[in-house]
Amino acid sequence: MTKTNLNRRDFLKGAASVAAVSTLPLSAVELAFADPAMNFTFAYISDSHIQHIKGSRFVNNWDRGLIRAVAETNLLQQKPDFVMFGGDLAQLGTKAELDHGAEMLAKLNYKTRMVMGEHDYYLDLGEYWSDLFGPHWYSFDHKGVHFVVLNSILTFDKWTFDRWPTAEQRMLEMAALDNPNGSPFMVGEKQRAWLAKDLAAIAKDTPVVVFSHSPIQKIYKGWNFWTDDAEQVQALLKPFEDVSVIYGHVHQIQYNQIGNISFNAVMATAWPWPYPRSYAQAESHMPKITVPMNRADPFFERDATGWQFINLKTGRVDLEYNLYDNTDRTVAFNPATGKPEDTKYQAEDDRIAPQIQY
Amino acid sequence: MAKKQIWAACAVVGAALILVGYGLQADEFTDQDVVRWQGEFMSVVAEGQALWGSPDLGTNGVACGQCHPNAANTHPETYPKFQQQLGGVVAFRDMINWCLMNPLEGEKLELNDKRMIALEAYATYERRGVALEPGKH
Amino acid sequence: MRKTVFVVLLGAGLLAAAGVLSDAGEEQLAPLGLPPVPIPEDNPQTPEKIALGEKLYNETRFSTTGEVGCFTCHEPEKAFTDSPLKVSEGIEKKTGTRNSPTVINSAYFTTQFWDGRSPDLEDQALQPFINPVEHGLVDYEPILTIVRTDPEYAEAFKEVFGKSRDGITMREVTLAIAAFERTVISGDSPFDRYYFGGEEDALTEQQKRGFELYLNEGRCVSCHVIEQTQALFTDNRFHNIGVGINNIQNDIPKLAGNFLEADRTLSEVDVEVLTDPRTSELGRFAISHGFDDIGSFKTPTLRNVAVTAPYMHDGSIETLKDVMIHYNNGGVTDVGDPVNDFLSGGIRPLDLDEDQIDDLVEFMEALTSPEFEPSADEAEGQ
Repeated sequence: MTKTNLNRRDFLKGAASVAAVSTLPLSAVELAFADPAMNFTFAYISDSHIQHIKGSRFVNNWDRGLIRAVAETNLLQQKPDFVMFGGDLAQLGTKAELDHGAEMLAKLNYKTRMVMGEHDYYLDLGEYWSDLFGPHWYSFDHKGVHFVVLNSILTFDKWTFDRWPTAEQRMLEMAALDNPNGSPFMVGEKQRAWLAKDLAAIAKDTPVVVFSHSPIQKIYKGWNFWTDDAEQVQALLKPFEDVSVIYGHVHQIQYNQIGNISFNAVMATAWPWPYPRSYAQAESHMPKITVPMNRADPFFERDATGWQFINLKTGRVDLEYNLYDNTDRTVAFNPATGKPEDTKYQAEDDRIAPQIQY
Repeated sequence: MAKKQIWAACAVVGAALILVGYGLQADEFTDQDVVRWQGEFMSVVAEGQALWGSPDLGTNGVACGQCHPNAANTHPETYPKFQQQLGGVVAFRDMINWCLMNPLEGEKLELNDKRMIALEAYATYERRGVALEPGKH
Repeated sequence: MRKTVFVVLLGAGLLAAAGVLSDAGEEQLAPLGLPPVPIPEDNPQTPEKIALGEKLYNETRFSTTGEVGCFTCHEPEKAFTDSPLKVSEGIEKKTGTRNSPTVINSAYFTTQFWDGRSPDLEDQALQPFINPVEHGLVDYEPILTIVRTDPEYAEAFKEVFGKSRDGITMREVTLAIAAFERTVISGDSPFDRYYFGGEEDALTEQQKRGFELYLNEGRCVSCHVIEQTQALFTDNRFHNIGVGINNIQNDIPKLAGNFLEADRTLSEVDVEVLTDPRTSELGRFAISHGFDDIGSFKTPTLRNVAVTAPYMHDGSIETLKDVMIHYNNGGVTDVGDPVNDFLSGGIRPLDLDEDQIDDLVEFMEALTSPEFEPSADEAEGQ
């Protein structure tokens, strides 16, 4: 594969480089074919937080995370049908960061679609991001599955437009996770109306997968592990038989089941976040069924970061987490219990020390 | 000398009068003292909180709060402990310095640096109420 | 003759220094700075077994040319390596792709070989015999014939294992060799005396500075582990630190694919790895097939590192200073070289200046055990 100076223009054209035949096996992924025609995989890379320091210097740690995720995704033997990027490509939404991130993503051998994250958005309200990547919310169909991409990191108009004297200030305020001056995420009325219309045309037995940056749940408001209109969005999804929500933002393994909707968080390529219960001064509503990821050793900068590929069979998603310096984890939908489960560690007795010792 | 003795006696009496004037023995303190001193402490906690979010502690713009919102997952209650990354048993501030040198790509702080005290104060304050577990990995 | 005597004295001397020989299941005491040597339950140490193991270690008849034994690449007088060879030379001076790791303290590894494909010393001993570029044997028959019929061996195996003739198998052979290797232990270096022995003067001022760097800006201690009461200088894990792998970056998909197709059994791994320089750079990946392990090799111990040049799995880095420069550059040997995509998260540019690099190198000199210090009249090449 020749290394050219891929830039954002190549990215826009959906650059596919000379195919290096990937002959490596997928490890530990069982694809149980119910209706073989419906089976496919896609890869999910998220939360790279490319951070500009000065001039041509970017934070090395986050750069390496995205580089590695892209390189490994390209090695997959069973090629994913497409790649999603789950949001927060940049750290402070600057052109330099978005360009640098786009350049790295351009090396992917597959068609890539993007989800908006708050770190991409709050500097210029996603204007440059749209130049690079397209609309902030949209839907598409693939092999009988209906995919919806939401911009779920919006917030109250007053906070967005009136509160802060400069765009830079607004971005900084939203960037700090624990900032009491922050504002809760939401999908918002406009998008919910669009979603209702979009879903109206879809048959109730069509599998629906929603890509969102924020969790479409209310987990912990202090760190914006939160979508303020979660219930309303969930209500729109309720009529469908098989719904999966895949979200980023939290930088940790989380999964949940609410009614008919499965929720799965994806890892960040940049850095892990603590679980909300590790903040002793506040309560949180962490999904009880989640088996935590292994606690990280911060010396190994890729520890507790990773990317994931997702199998879609019978309309439900199974996630294989590629975790560096740790054993890979698989969270698969269990039809018997009707919820996502870790295929190895779900039972309390099967947990290992790095999952418990927080 | 008599003069010296007189001055000494005056000093003692003067001191006693001052103390009596405050209505205190030397080792008592009031509720107002406690409130005031708590405020002194919280002012340093506030400094620490500001530093926790500052991009200027290291050389690459990364802030403590990016990985440790509300100082979560720093576990001040487990120190001193054997710290794998430092090869021995260390105190909390040693690990703070490790973070400054490693993910923040900066220089360590002297152990009596005001910023070190502030960072420790903030992180420990955010962990208040949690039982001590020194040595826990 | 002199060599054999040296080794026997060394082994016995170490045992004496270390204390009582263990009974089955008990741990062997160790020199300053090391934990007790792990002894497996099914291979307890006895003086007779150790002596037999040493004899087997030095045997040249277990090779096609009658010239190669374990000591050829793991020579006691060269700190149990073949320094200064870059990669080892077996029969007829054939070469593979690996730099010979030292036997010293190998008993503390949880896996053997640079790619960790052997779970223990017993299993490791099986492989060089049938490696075409090492001992060159096609199978174990020549070895078994000798140990079953040579009168000295027959008597020794009978005494140690109570076995004779066809009862003697490669299992007994490797048990004995491993038992001998478990006596090749060294600690009590100037560092040990300083850090665990409380001798303030055991390190020079420069070495003390080097030690501080080791724990801090050098970022050494997380992989080359030092702990509060002992130091193995290895974490027994595998890391891609950007040696060798950098040369095959563009070919990784093809090479990995080829390897997986060609390789089916463990013995084939040995051949494949040692005869194909490009493939062998995949390291641990060949064993685990995990993305995480692409280009990863086992962290070696740093004990006696000053006398075991050249360095890395392929011997590609000549001096300790060059090693520090490689780390300082963040996993590339020359500044400006492309960093490979699969680099360990523990490796990144260190921003050390020349003085700091020299201090670290000087500290490395403090890790040599007294019995392996080059004597005054020996070659000053190291």
